[in-house]
Amino acid sequence: MGNLASSNRASEEAVKPKKSQIAAAEGGESDEKLLMEVGNHQSREAFNKLFERFSNKIFLHGMKITRNEQLSKDLVQEAMMTVWQKAPLYNSDRGNVQSWIFTLTRNRCFDMLRKQKRQPQCVSADDIWPAGMEDSESLVEKDRGALAVEFGHIEKFLSQLPQAQQEVVGKVYLMNLTHEEAAADLEIPLGTLKSRLRLAMGKLRQLIGTSE
Amino acid sequence: MTTMKSNLHPSTEMLEKFVSGDLSVGVNLAISAHVEMCEHCKSEIQEIESRAAEHWAESATAEAIDYEADPSNIIENIVAQPQFKELDIEESAVGSIHMLDRSVRLPKVLAKAASEGLVWKQLGAGISQADVKIDDEVHCSFLYMKPGSQTPVHKHQGTETTLVLDGSMSDELGEYHKSDFILRTNNDTHQPRTEEGCLCFSVLDSPLTFTKGLARLLNPINRLRFQRAVGRTLS
Ligand SMILES: [Zn+2]
Repeated sequence: MGNLASSNRASEEAVKPKKSQIAAAEGGESDEKLLMEVGNHQSREAFNKLFERFSNKIFLHGMKITRNEQLSKDLVQEAMMTVWQKAPLYNSDRGNVQSWIFTLTRNRCFDMLRKQKRQPQCVSADDIWPAGMEDSESLVEKDRGALAVEFGHIEKFLSQLPQAQQEVVGKVYLMNLTHEEAAADLEIPLGTLKSRLRLAMGKLRQLIGTSE
Repeated sequence: MTTMKSNLHPSTEMLEKFVSGDLSVGVNLAISAHVEMCEHCKSEIQEIESRAAEHWAESATAEAIDYEADPSNIIENIVAQPQFKELDIEESAVGSIHMLDRSVRLPKVLAKAASEGLVWKQLGAGISQADVKIDDEVHCSFLYMKPGSQTPVHKHQGTETTLVLDGSMSDELGEYHKSDFILRTNNDTHQPRTEEGCLCFSVLDSPLTFTKGLARLLNPINRLRFQRAVGRTLS
Protein backbone atom coordinates (compact mmCIF):
# COMPACT_ATOMS: atom_id res chain seq x y z
CA MET A 1 0.00 0.00 0.00
CA GLY A 2 2.92 2.33 0.75
CA ASN A 3 3.92 1.92 -2.82
CA LEU A 4 0.52 2.99 -4.08
CA ALA A 5 0.44 6.11 -1.95
CA SER A 6 3.82 7.31 -3.13
CA SER A 7 3.00 6.75 -6.79
CA ASN A 8 -0.24 8.66 -6.24
CA ARG A 9 1.68 11.58 -4.88
CA ALA A 10 4.06 11.38 -7.81
CA SER A 11 1.21 11.56 -10.32
CA GLU A 12 -0.34 14.46 -8.43
CA GLU A 13 2.91 16.34 -8.74
CA ALA A 14 3.08 15.50 -12.41
CA VAL A 15 -0.35 17.11 -12.92
CA LYS A 16 0.42 20.30 -11.02
CA PRO A 17 2.66 22.19 -13.44
CA LYS A 18 0.14 21.54 -16.22
CA LYS A 19 -2.65 22.92 -14.04
CA SER A 20 -0.88 26.22 -13.54
CA GLN A 21 -0.08 26.46 -17.25
CA ILE A 22 -3.77 26.16 -18.10
CA ALA A 23 -4.69 28.59 -15.35
CA ALA A 24 -2.22 31.08 -16.77
CA ALA A 25 -3.51 30.63 -20.30
CA GLU A 26 -7.25 30.70 -19.59
CA GLY A 27 -7.46 32.67 -16.37
CA GLY A 28 -8.78 29.65 -14.46
CA GLU A 29 -9.11 25.88 -14.55
CA SER A 30 -12.05 24.23 -16.24
CA ASP A 31 -14.81 22.82 -14.03
CA GLU A 32 -13.76 19.37 -15.11
CA LYS A 33 -10.14 19.87 -14.14
CA LEU A 34 -11.24 21.03 -10.68
CA LEU A 35 -13.63 18.15 -10.20
CA MET A 36 -10.90 15.71 -11.26
CA GLU A 37 -8.60 17.18 -8.63
CA VAL A 38 -11.34 16.65 -6.05
CA GLY A 39 -12.29 13.14 -7.21
CA ASN A 40 -8.86 11.76 -8.01
CA HIS A 41 -6.78 13.56 -5.39
CA GLN A 42 -9.17 14.87 -2.70
CA SER A 43 -7.92 18.41 -3.36
CA ARG A 44 -9.47 20.91 -0.92
CA GLU A 45 -8.13 23.81 -2.91
CA ALA A 46 -10.00 22.65 -6.01
CA PHE A 47 -13.12 22.03 -3.92
CA ASN A 48 -12.92 25.59 -2.59
CA LYS A 49 -12.95 26.89 -6.15
CA LEU A 50 -15.91 24.72 -7.14
CA PHE A 51 -17.74 25.93 -4.05
CA GLU A 52 -17.06 29.51 -5.06
CA ARG A 53 -18.30 28.87 -8.61
CA PHE A 54 -21.45 26.94 -7.83
CA SER A 55 -22.75 27.85 -4.36
CA ASN A 56 -24.61 30.97 -5.50
CA LYS A 57 -26.19 29.09 -8.39
CA ILE A 58 -27.36 26.34 -6.06
CA PHE A 59 -28.66 28.92 -3.60
CA LEU A 60 -30.71 30.66 -6.31
CA HIS A 61 -32.16 27.34 -7.47
CA GLY A 62 -33.21 26.73 -3.87
CA MET A 63 -34.82 30.17 -3.61
CA LYS A 64 -36.71 29.61 -6.85
CA ILE A 65 -38.13 26.27 -5.73
CA THR A 66 -38.56 26.73 -1.96
CA ARG A 67 -38.73 30.54 -1.56
CA ASN A 68 -37.09 30.00 1.80
CA GLU A 69 -33.66 31.35 2.64
CA GLN A 70 -32.79 28.83 5.32
CA LEU A 71 -33.81 25.87 3.17
CA SER A 72 -31.80 27.29 0.29
CA LYS A 73 -28.73 27.55 2.50
CA ASP A 74 -29.26 23.98 3.60
CA LEU A 75 -29.50 23.02 -0.05
CA VAL A 76 -26.10 24.55 -0.81
CA GLN A 77 -24.56 22.45 1.96
CA GLU A 78 -26.30 19.26 0.88
CA ALA A 79 -25.56 19.69 -2.80
CA MET A 80 -21.91 20.64 -2.28
CA MET A 81 -21.55 17.73 0.14
CA THR A 82 -22.78 15.46 -2.64
CA VAL A 83 -20.29 17.05 -5.05
CA TRP A 84 -17.48 16.20 -2.63
CA GLN A 85 -18.68 12.69 -1.86
CA LYS A 86 -19.50 11.67 -5.40
CA ALA A 87 -16.62 13.38 -7.20
CA PRO A 88 -14.75 10.06 -7.62
CA LEU A 89 -17.84 8.70 -9.40
CA TYR A 90 -18.24 11.57 -11.88
CA ASN A 91 -18.20 10.23 -15.43
CA SER A 92 -17.44 12.79 -18.14
CA ASP A 93 -18.79 10.43 -20.83
CA ARG A 94 -22.28 11.18 -19.52
CA GLY A 95 -22.24 14.95 -19.58
CA ASN A 96 -20.27 17.96 -18.38
CA VAL A 97 -19.69 19.06 -14.81
CA GLN A 98 -22.32 21.78 -15.06
CA SER A 99 -25.03 19.23 -15.97
CA TRP A 100 -23.82 16.93 -13.24
CA ILE A 101 -24.04 19.59 -10.54
CA PHE A 102 -27.36 20.88 -11.90
CA THR A 103 -28.97 17.43 -11.71
CA LEU A 104 -27.61 16.63 -8.27
CA THR A 105 -28.85 20.03 -7.02
CA ARG A 106 -32.32 19.28 -8.40
CA ASN A 107 -32.23 15.86 -6.73
CA ARG A 108 -31.12 17.09 -3.31
CA CYS A 109 -33.75 19.84 -3.47
CA PHE A 110 -36.48 17.32 -4.29
CA ASP A 111 -35.52 15.05 -1.39
CA MET A 112 -35.23 17.97 1.01
CA LEU A 113 -38.72 19.21 0.20
CA ARG A 114 -40.30 15.79 0.51
CA LYS A 115 -38.62 15.27 3.84
CA GLN A 116 -39.82 18.64 5.01
CA LYS A 117 -43.41 17.91 3.93
CA ARG A 118 -43.15 14.52 5.67
CA GLN A 119 -44.06 12.59 2.57
CA PRO A 120 -43.29 8.86 2.27
CA GLN A 121 -39.57 8.34 1.71
CA CYS A 122 -39.72 5.06 -0.19
CA VAL A 123 -38.85 6.79 -3.46
CA SER A 124 -35.95 9.23 -3.59
CA ALA A 125 -34.79 11.60 -6.30
CA ASP A 126 -31.98 9.24 -7.25
CA ASP A 127 -34.60 6.58 -8.02
CA ILE A 128 -36.59 8.94 -10.22
CA TRP A 129 -33.57 10.42 -12.02
CA PRO A 130 -30.99 7.62 -11.87
CA ALA A 131 -27.47 8.76 -12.66
CA GLY A 132 -26.54 7.75 -16.16
CA MET A 133 -29.66 5.83 -17.09
CA GLU A 134 -27.89 4.83 -20.29
CA ASP A 135 -25.41 2.45 -18.75
CA SER A 136 -27.29 1.29 -15.70
CA GLU A 137 -27.10 -2.25 -17.13
CA SER A 138 -23.33 -2.20 -16.95
CA LEU A 139 -23.35 -0.84 -13.40
CA VAL A 140 -25.23 -3.88 -12.17
CA GLU A 141 -22.53 -6.08 -13.65
CA LYS A 142 -19.98 -6.32 -10.87
CA ASP A 143 -16.47 -7.46 -11.71
CA ARG A 144 -16.82 -11.19 -12.17
CA GLY A 145 -13.13 -11.93 -11.89
CA ALA A 146 -10.50 -12.72 -14.47
CA LEU A 147 -11.35 -13.44 -18.06
CA ALA A 148 -10.47 -16.94 -19.13
CA VAL A 149 -8.67 -16.45 -22.41
CA GLU A 150 -5.24 -17.28 -23.70
CA PHE A 151 -2.89 -14.37 -23.54
CA GLY A 152 -2.09 -14.50 -27.22
CA HIS A 153 -5.74 -13.94 -28.11
CA ILE A 154 -6.27 -10.89 -25.96
CA GLU A 155 -4.94 -8.42 -28.48
CA LYS A 156 -7.31 -9.69 -31.13
CA PHE A 157 -10.31 -9.01 -28.90
CA LEU A 158 -8.88 -5.81 -27.53
CA SER A 159 -8.55 -4.33 -30.99
CA GLN A 160 -12.32 -4.68 -31.47
CA LEU A 161 -13.07 -2.25 -28.64
CA PRO A 162 -13.53 1.51 -29.13
CA GLN A 163 -10.24 3.43 -28.83
CA ALA A 164 -11.09 5.01 -25.46
CA GLN A 165 -11.86 1.60 -23.95
CA GLN A 166 -8.69 0.03 -25.37
CA GLU A 167 -6.61 2.74 -23.70
CA VAL A 168 -8.18 2.12 -20.33
CA VAL A 169 -7.80 -1.68 -20.48
CA GLY A 170 -4.21 -1.24 -21.63
CA LYS A 171 -3.27 0.98 -18.70
CA VAL A 172 -4.97 -1.14 -16.05
CA TYR A 173 -4.41 -4.71 -17.28
CA LEU A 174 -1.32 -4.55 -19.49
CA MET A 175 0.64 -1.83 -17.68
CA ASN A 176 -0.76 -2.83 -14.25
CA LEU A 177 -1.50 0.72 -13.13
CA THR A 178 -3.99 1.33 -10.32
CA HIS A 179 -7.28 2.97 -11.30
CA GLU A 180 -6.05 6.25 -9.81
CA GLU A 181 -2.77 6.11 -11.71
CA ALA A 182 -4.45 5.21 -14.98
CA ALA A 183 -6.95 8.08 -14.61
CA ALA A 184 -4.14 10.54 -13.91
CA ASP A 185 -2.13 9.18 -16.82
CA LEU A 186 -5.02 9.56 -19.27
CA GLU A 187 -6.14 12.84 -17.67
CA ILE A 188 -9.72 11.65 -17.21
CA PRO A 189 -11.93 11.58 -14.11
CA LEU A 190 -11.76 8.41 -12.02
CA GLY A 191 -15.45 7.74 -12.59
CA THR A 192 -14.97 7.97 -16.36
CA LEU A 193 -12.14 5.46 -16.16
CA LYS A 194 -14.19 3.03 -14.09
CA SER A 195 -17.19 3.33 -16.36
CA ARG A 196 -15.12 2.75 -19.52
CA LEU A 197 -13.40 -0.18 -17.87
CA ARG A 198 -16.74 -1.74 -16.95
CA LEU A 199 -18.06 -1.27 -20.47
CA ALA A 200 -14.84 -2.69 -21.94
CA MET A 201 -14.85 -5.76 -19.71
CA GLY A 202 -18.51 -6.41 -20.52
CA LYS A 203 -17.76 -6.15 -24.23
CA LEU A 204 -14.67 -8.37 -23.95
CA ARG A 205 -16.64 -10.99 -22.05
CA GLN A 206 -19.18 -10.95 -24.83
CA LEU A 207 -16.55 -11.20 -27.59
CA ILE A 208 -14.69 -14.02 -25.85
CA GLY A 209 -17.93 -15.83 -25.09
CA THR A 210 -19.10 -15.77 -28.68
CA SER A 211 -15.74 -16.89 -30.05
CA GLU A 212 -15.83 -20.20 -28.17
CA MET B 1 -35.13 -5.88 -19.13
CA THR B 2 -35.58 -5.69 -22.85
CA THR B 3 -36.04 -2.27 -24.28
CA MET B 4 -39.10 -1.90 -26.45
CA LYS B 5 -40.06 0.52 -29.13
CA SER B 6 -42.80 2.71 -27.87
CA ASN B 7 -45.37 4.54 -29.94
CA LEU B 8 -46.45 6.98 -27.30
CA HIS B 9 -44.01 9.17 -25.43
CA PRO B 10 -44.31 12.09 -23.03
CA SER B 11 -44.23 15.39 -24.96
CA THR B 12 -40.99 17.38 -25.06
CA GLU B 13 -42.64 19.96 -22.83
CA MET B 14 -43.36 17.26 -20.26
CA LEU B 15 -39.82 15.94 -20.46
CA GLU B 16 -38.54 19.46 -19.84
CA LYS B 17 -40.69 19.75 -16.73
CA PHE B 18 -39.51 16.31 -15.67
CA VAL B 19 -35.90 17.43 -15.96
CA SER B 20 -36.45 20.67 -14.05
CA GLY B 21 -38.44 18.89 -11.34
CA ASP B 22 -41.72 20.73 -11.96
CA LEU B 23 -44.09 17.74 -12.05
CA SER B 24 -45.93 15.87 -9.33
CA VAL B 25 -44.11 12.89 -7.89
CA GLY B 26 -46.66 10.51 -9.39
CA VAL B 27 -46.12 11.80 -12.93
CA ASN B 28 -42.35 11.78 -12.29
CA LEU B 29 -42.63 8.07 -11.49
CA ALA B 30 -44.56 7.32 -14.67
CA ILE B 31 -42.11 9.26 -16.84
CA SER B 32 -39.05 7.78 -15.14
CA ALA B 33 -40.42 4.26 -15.66
CA HIS B 34 -41.19 5.05 -19.31
CA VAL B 35 -37.70 6.44 -19.85
CA GLU B 36 -36.15 3.29 -18.44
CA MET B 37 -37.92 1.39 -21.23
CA CYS B 38 -37.41 3.98 -24.00
CA GLU B 39 -34.08 4.74 -25.69
CA HIS B 40 -35.61 7.64 -27.59
CA CYS B 41 -36.64 9.57 -24.48
CA LYS B 42 -33.42 8.61 -22.72
CA SER B 43 -31.31 10.50 -25.24
CA GLU B 44 -33.77 13.38 -25.45
CA ILE B 45 -33.53 13.79 -21.68
CA GLN B 46 -29.75 14.00 -21.83
CA GLU B 47 -30.01 16.87 -24.28
CA ILE B 48 -32.65 18.64 -22.23
CA GLU B 49 -30.52 18.24 -19.12
CA SER B 50 -27.50 19.91 -20.66
CA ARG B 51 -29.67 22.77 -22.02
CA ALA B 52 -31.31 23.23 -18.63
CA ALA B 53 -27.92 23.20 -16.89
CA GLU B 54 -26.60 25.85 -19.23
CA HIS B 55 -29.65 28.01 -18.65
CA TRP B 56 -29.26 27.51 -14.91
CA ALA B 57 -25.61 28.53 -14.94
CA GLU B 58 -26.22 31.62 -17.05
CA SER B 59 -29.28 32.94 -15.23
CA ALA B 60 -27.52 32.60 -11.90
CA THR B 61 -24.44 34.56 -12.90
CA ALA B 62 -26.69 37.44 -13.94
CA GLU B 63 -27.73 37.92 -10.33
CA ALA B 64 -24.94 39.05 -8.07
CA ILE B 65 -25.64 37.67 -4.64
CA ASP B 66 -23.40 36.38 -1.93
CA TYR B 67 -25.24 33.68 -0.17
CA GLU B 68 -22.66 33.40 2.58
CA ALA B 69 -19.88 35.82 3.47
CA ASP B 70 -17.53 33.19 4.82
CA PRO B 71 -18.31 29.59 3.94
CA SER B 72 -15.01 28.19 5.25
CA ASN B 73 -16.68 26.38 8.17
CA ILE B 74 -19.14 24.73 5.85
CA ILE B 75 -16.36 23.65 3.52
CA GLU B 76 -14.27 22.29 6.42
CA ASN B 77 -17.25 20.23 7.47
CA ILE B 78 -17.76 18.82 4.02
CA VAL B 79 -14.18 17.85 3.23
CA ALA B 80 -13.98 16.00 6.55
CA GLN B 81 -16.48 13.49 5.12
CA PRO B 82 -15.30 10.34 3.34
CA GLN B 83 -15.83 10.13 -0.42
CA PHE B 84 -17.76 7.37 -2.22
CA LYS B 85 -15.66 5.02 -4.29
CA GLU B 86 -18.32 2.78 -5.82
CA LEU B 87 -21.97 3.21 -6.74
CA ASP B 88 -24.20 0.91 -4.76
CA ILE B 89 -27.09 -0.49 -6.71
CA GLU B 90 -29.58 -1.88 -4.26
CA GLU B 91 -32.18 -4.33 -5.43
CA SER B 92 -35.70 -3.57 -4.34
CA ALA B 93 -37.74 -6.09 -2.37
CA VAL B 94 -40.55 -6.08 -4.93
CA GLY B 95 -38.90 -6.68 -8.30
CA SER B 96 -41.88 -8.04 -10.13
CA ILE B 97 -45.66 -8.40 -9.95
CA HIS B 98 -47.17 -11.85 -10.30
CA MET B 99 -50.19 -11.99 -12.56
CA LEU B 100 -52.45 -14.92 -13.40
CA ASP B 101 -50.11 -16.78 -15.69
CA ARG B 102 -46.81 -14.95 -15.47
CA SER B 103 -44.82 -12.42 -13.53
CA VAL B 104 -43.98 -8.97 -14.81
CA ARG B 105 -40.64 -7.38 -14.05
CA LEU B 106 -41.19 -3.78 -12.99
CA PRO B 107 -39.10 -0.79 -14.02
CA LYS B 108 -36.69 -0.06 -11.14
CA VAL B 109 -38.37 3.10 -9.94
CA LEU B 110 -41.78 1.42 -9.72
CA ALA B 111 -40.28 -1.59 -7.97
CA LYS B 112 -38.94 0.88 -5.42
CA ALA B 113 -42.31 2.62 -5.08
CA ALA B 114 -43.97 -0.76 -4.49
CA SER B 115 -41.31 -1.93 -2.06
CA GLU B 116 -43.56 -1.61 0.97
CA GLY B 117 -45.87 -4.22 -0.55
CA LEU B 118 -48.98 -4.05 -2.69
CA VAL B 119 -52.49 -4.72 -1.48
CA TRP B 120 -54.74 -5.67 -4.36
CA LYS B 121 -58.45 -5.04 -4.23
CA GLN B 122 -61.05 -6.12 -6.75
CA LEU B 123 -62.88 -3.30 -8.47
CA GLY B 124 -65.17 -5.77 -10.25
CA ALA B 125 -65.42 -6.61 -13.96
CA GLY B 126 -62.03 -8.37 -13.87
CA ILE B 127 -60.14 -5.30 -12.75
CA SER B 128 -57.88 -5.08 -9.69
CA GLN B 129 -56.11 -2.12 -8.23
CA ALA B 130 -53.22 -1.68 -5.81
CA ASP B 131 -52.58 1.81 -4.46
CA VAL B 132 -49.13 3.25 -4.03
CA LYS B 133 -48.92 5.89 -1.33
CA ILE B 134 -46.48 8.41 -2.63
CA ASP B 135 -47.86 11.91 -2.49
CA ASP B 136 -50.67 14.10 -1.18
CA GLU B 137 -51.57 15.53 -4.54
CA VAL B 138 -52.05 12.58 -6.82
CA HIS B 139 -53.42 9.09 -6.59
CA CYS B 140 -51.04 6.43 -7.92
CA SER B 141 -51.89 2.80 -8.43
CA PHE B 142 -51.16 -0.34 -10.36
CA LEU B 143 -54.14 -1.51 -12.37
CA TYR B 144 -54.52 -5.03 -13.63
CA MET B 145 -57.16 -5.92 -16.21
CA LYS B 146 -57.80 -9.63 -16.72
CA PRO B 147 -57.81 -10.95 -20.30
CA GLY B 148 -61.11 -10.06 -21.96
CA SER B 149 -62.12 -7.37 -19.45
CA GLN B 150 -63.12 -3.76 -19.88
CA THR B 151 -63.48 -0.85 -17.48
CA PRO B 152 -66.81 0.94 -17.10
CA VAL B 153 -67.13 4.04 -19.30
CA HIS B 154 -65.66 6.93 -17.38
CA LYS B 155 -64.91 10.57 -17.72
CA HIS B 156 -61.88 12.43 -16.47
CA GLN B 157 -62.16 15.60 -14.51
CA GLY B 158 -58.47 16.07 -14.15
CA THR B 159 -55.56 14.33 -15.78
CA GLU B 160 -54.97 10.61 -15.97
CA THR B 161 -51.50 9.38 -16.85
CA THR B 162 -51.20 5.72 -17.75
CA LEU B 163 -48.07 3.72 -18.45
CA VAL B 164 -48.54 0.26 -19.93
CA LEU B 165 -46.22 -2.20 -18.19
CA ASP B 166 -47.29 -5.48 -19.71
CA GLY B 167 -49.84 -6.83 -22.17
CA SER B 168 -51.95 -4.42 -24.17
CA MET B 169 -55.22 -2.53 -24.12
CA SER B 170 -57.22 -0.28 -26.38
CA ASP B 171 -59.82 2.45 -26.25
CA GLU B 172 -61.69 4.64 -28.73
CA LEU B 173 -58.47 6.42 -29.65
CA GLY B 174 -56.07 3.57 -30.19
CA GLU B 175 -54.20 0.50 -29.06
CA TYR B 176 -51.50 0.59 -26.42
CA HIS B 177 -48.58 -1.72 -25.71
CA LYS B 178 -45.79 -2.12 -23.21
CA SER B 179 -43.99 1.19 -22.41
CA ASP B 180 -46.66 3.38 -24.06
CA PHE B 181 -47.28 6.59 -22.16
CA ILE B 182 -50.90 7.76 -22.34
CA LEU B 183 -52.22 11.11 -21.18
CA ARG B 184 -55.97 11.76 -20.86
CA THR B 185 -57.18 15.18 -19.81
CA ASN B 186 -60.39 16.99 -18.99
CA ASN B 187 -63.57 15.50 -20.28
CA ASP B 188 -62.18 12.70 -22.39
CA THR B 189 -64.68 9.90 -21.98
CA HIS B 190 -63.26 6.50 -22.62
CA GLN B 191 -63.62 2.81 -21.99
CA PRO B 192 -60.37 0.85 -22.07
CA ARG B 193 -60.59 -2.88 -22.82
CA THR B 194 -58.10 -5.66 -23.18
CA GLU B 195 -57.94 -8.97 -25.03
CA GLU B 196 -54.72 -10.44 -23.66
CA GLY B 197 -54.77 -8.76 -20.24
CA CYS B 198 -52.94 -5.63 -19.22
CA LEU B 199 -50.90 -4.28 -16.32
CA CYS B 200 -50.63 -0.49 -16.02
CA PHE B 201 -49.31 2.15 -13.68
CA SER B 202 -51.83 4.94 -13.36
CA VAL B 203 -51.62 8.45 -11.92
CA LEU B 204 -54.79 10.42 -11.29
CA ASP B 205 -54.96 14.02 -10.22
CA SER B 206 -58.73 13.96 -9.61
CA PRO B 207 -61.40 11.27 -9.36
CA LEU B 208 -62.91 9.47 -12.30
CA THR B 209 -66.62 9.80 -12.93
CA PHE B 210 -68.39 6.82 -14.40
CA THR B 211 -70.98 7.88 -16.92
CA LYS B 212 -72.95 4.79 -17.89
CA GLY B 213 -75.26 2.19 -16.38
CA LEU B 214 -74.83 0.55 -13.05
CA ALA B 215 -71.27 1.71 -12.86
CA ARG B 216 -72.62 5.15 -12.00
CA LEU B 217 -73.45 3.72 -8.61
CA LEU B 218 -69.72 3.49 -8.07
CA ASN B 219 -69.29 7.22 -8.27
CA PRO B 220 -69.75 8.21 -4.62
CA ILE B 221 -67.52 5.34 -3.57
CA ASN B 222 -64.93 6.25 -6.11
CA ARG B 223 -64.98 9.78 -4.83
CA LEU B 224 -64.58 8.57 -1.28
CA ARG B 225 -61.73 6.30 -2.23
CA PHE B 226 -59.96 9.15 -3.91
CA GLN B 227 -60.52 11.32 -0.88
CA ARG B 228 -58.94 8.73 1.34
CA ALA B 229 -56.06 8.30 -1.00
CA VAL B 230 -55.23 11.97 -1.18
CA GLY B 231 -56.32 12.78 2.36
CA ARG B 232 -58.27 15.94 1.60
CA THR B 233 -61.90 16.79 1.13
CA LEU B 234 -63.44 17.17 -2.29
CA SER B 235 -66.52 19.31 -2.64
ZN1 LIG C 1 -40.28 7.56 -24.97
